[in-house]
Amino acid sequence: MPLGDSPRQKSNERQCDVLIIGGGMAGLSAALHLAERGLKPLILEADPRFIGGRLAGGEEVEIKGWRFRLEHGVHGVWSQYRNFQSMLARHHLRPVFTPSQEELWIYRDRYGTRKASVGSAIRYSIFPAPLHYIQLFLRSRFWWMLDLRDISRMFHVWSLLIMSVGIDPFREDQPMEGLTLNDFVKSWTPAIRAFFIGLARNGFSTHAEEIPLSGFLAFLRFYTILRRDAWTFSYLPEDGGTSVIEPLADKVRELGGEILLEKRVSRLEDGPTWKAYCDEEAFSAKQIILAVDASAASSIIKNSFGENALYFPRSLSNAVVRLWFDCTPKPGPESGTFTGDFVMHNFFWLDRIYASYRKWNKETGGSAIEVHIYGPQEILQNADAALLAQVITGLYQAYPELRGHLIHQHIQRNAATHTLPNLGSKDRHLGIETHWTNLFCAGDWVRDPIPSFFLERACATGIKAANAVLKTRGLDEWTLVGYLPPEPFVGWIEKLMVAGRKRRIAKRNAQKQSHQ
Amino acid sequence: MLKYASNLIKLARNDRHLNPQVAIYYVTTQCNLNCAYCEDFGARRNDHAEPPRRLDQAMQILRVIRSGADSLFITGGEPLLHPDIDELLRRAEHELKFREITLITNGFLLSKHEAALSAVDRLIVSLDSLNAENWSQTIGIPLASTESIYNNICNYAMRQKEFGYQMMVNAVLSPETLSGAEALLEFCVENHLLISFSPQAVNNWVRYELIISSEYKVLIEKLIAYKKRGAPIAGSMAYLQTLIDFRPYDCYPTLAPRIMPNGDLTYPCRPFEKANNGQGGRPVNLLDVKTWDEAWSKARAAYGQPPRTCHSCFQQCYIEPSLMQSQPLTFLNEYLRYPSSRKGNLKTYAAG
Repeated sequence: MPLGDSPRQKSNERQCDVLIIGGGMAGLSAALHLAERGLKPLILEADPRFIGGRLAGGEEVEIKGWRFRLEHGVHGVWSQYRNFQSMLARHHLRPVFTPSQEELWIYRDRYGTRKASVGSAIRYSIFPAPLHYIQLFLRSRFWWMLDLRDISRMFHVWSLLIMSVGIDPFREDQPMEGLTLNDFVKSWTPAIRAFFIGLARNGFSTHAEEIPLSGFLAFLRFYTILRRDAWTFSYLPEDGGTSVIEPLADKVRELGGEILLEKRVSRLEDGPTWKAYCDEEAFSAKQIILAVDASAASSIIKNSFGENALYFPRSLSNAVVRLWFDCTPKPGPESGTFTGDFVMHNFFWLDRIYASYRKWNKETGGSAIEVHIYGPQEILQNADAALLAQVITGLYQAYPELRGHLIHQHIQRNAATHTLPNLGSKDRHLGIETHWTNLFCAGDWVRDPIPSFFLERACATGIKAANAVLKTRGLDEWTLVGYLPPEPFVGWIEKLMVAGRKRRIAKRNAQKQSHQ
Repeated sequence: MLKYASNLIKLARNDRHLNPQVAIYYVTTQCNLNCAYCEDFGARRNDHAEPPRRLDQAMQILRVIRSGADSLFITGGEPLLHPDIDELLRRAEHELKFREITLITNGFLLSKHEAALSAVDRLIVSLDSLNAENWSQTIGIPLASTESIYNNICNYAMRQKEFGYQMMVNAVLSPETLSGAEALLEFCVENHLLISFSPQAVNNWVRYELIISSEYKVLIEKLIAYKKRGAPIAGSMAYLQTLIDFRPYDCYPTLAPRIMPNGDLTYPCRPFEKANNGQGGRPVNLLDVKTWDEAWSKARAAYGQPPRTCHSCFQQCYIEPSLMQSQPLTFLNEYLRYPSSRKGNLKTYAAG
């Protein structure tokens, strides 16, 4: 379903009002907010067929006469994604979501495969944040996941988790350079470590050794530790392209914006106006918003300014495997995580999430699962057949009733575009406003004190980048929707911890001065 | 109370298919107003309106509802446009003996339907602003008609004792009406009316301009303070607190099921039914079944239990009963601490 407009003129240089490089959530959000203020943004998207970046829809596969649309992977819309939801609702584009009802933790070690439902215990806990995880221990199945070592070290684990309450790396500008999640959890016991690493791997799509500690603490704060209901999310009712991106792109066009596909910008040029070069074509504009993923942004900046000292968060690749069965597994949660001895890391039963798959399930009794594999690289480097075989073997251990019912398999290799959230130092990590006048950045990799991640961060930084342009034009800026505050008890703990840290720092400074 | 207790037991057993506390019957989707914020029915959609059922069919629908719920909300569109509304309400009270009947109307046709009024226990009328010009623009009718609605409200507020109903104003808070909300509250105090507030929804979500408005937040905080001091503001404290920051709530839509004019039961909720994406729909027509339990079982068989953790909409009609049912301790605390909340129950919210 190609969506781009064809170039209106073939001349070598085209002038436009505002140029947005990248047609993902950040670029589309920026374009929408500019177009609503009467500007005419032009989006250049590198993909030849689909707008939307990581939320784009893709090709279709046919299974026994039924057609299913592919995408980068299933996305969650969390309760704290308030700018994303408000933006869609304002234009009547917010779909009716599929609520996530429960998340299953599947853990395998040498003693066998065990399962425990965890999501609802966290969000409906009777204990206030940050004590809400205690609810897990009221579930007998959770106890079966643990051994004596886990139980004996529980307080230690808890005290480390509380650390995330007292420090807000994004707002306080604490890059914690060099520290990773692995440093944080290395003294933890096996099952508890597996649980939190599984949680983090779902969020960060990579291994504990690679997850930056600053990103992890900010992640805990945004998604779980400050509020019980922060761990509330839904799925889009269909693939991201169909549910959100394509209607959003249509709205941008309706408001006067333009979208060109297959325009991969290789470099920018500063001057009286900015120029962006794609092959032999050039586009010029007074302001440019760079809304591509971190890896593409890094490449464009290097090509344009020879700037090698800047910091860009890493972009990660992954593999997505989809399997179709001619039967349905036993009833259970629609999604969850695999930890321990599995090659895959999370799963989504598509027939319990997407309308088209639900219809297929209703009419044929079939089911389909999507599993994500986030690494490590030596696993991802396996041939498709080998990776598929490992996934299928693991899946049969978790769902033995599916043996012999596989009817179709599909593996998709996603390029390294998924951001590994991290915070670089202020002078090296680009924010929305950059070292270059009238060049702004947007995306989930951009340095900004807002606490959000991924889809919401892309949307919020897109709006902020639009605001930066509007400011230069003397037009009204948009107000961002705020996030829910911490629950009262955890808010009180946070204040105490922040005050304690300040006192310690002041004391240390005073000691230093007295030594001098 | 028994139903409330049995629903608590269901919740403890992780059963989300809760039994209804009230049933909401849309007797017609026709409307004579054209409210700017209306996202469901309304005059601009009358061409697509479902025709109302004849009296005998509507009575049969109510009979089935009665076998499962003892509180009934009659709404629309504009319910007073149903050709047999007076008789339908009279028979609902006398023949079917609903314990509580609530009529939700825009008030324009009240004077032509006095016969219906003695059958209702609660009369909920929409009034968003005392500024006639502002309100006229909001509801899309001429100024003169707006004034006539306003006069009707004053008139029927004075006659509450005569007809034996309790009257309540339902005000939709929008950026356009925000500044007049306190005056509206004063008007209700003067006229012995209850008032309920709900923020304007756009696409099942609170309107952006309200979410970012500090004036809106200040207003809700004031309303909470007024309510603590005994102001006649309907709805629970927990509901009003939810309106400050629009935090997620656990929704139990089957507590207030909706029945469309033709008798179709929407399940599990109206947004899912409208989305038509396989999560909900109209699994059964009440004219095809004999009892509510039969309809309820068919609905459950078709779509299963209502989902957990849904934040697909932010609608007053689902928030209040869901909070009441799922947070008994919160409500007990409210009941004990604030005497004005002791009237608080499912009567005191205005289902849209």
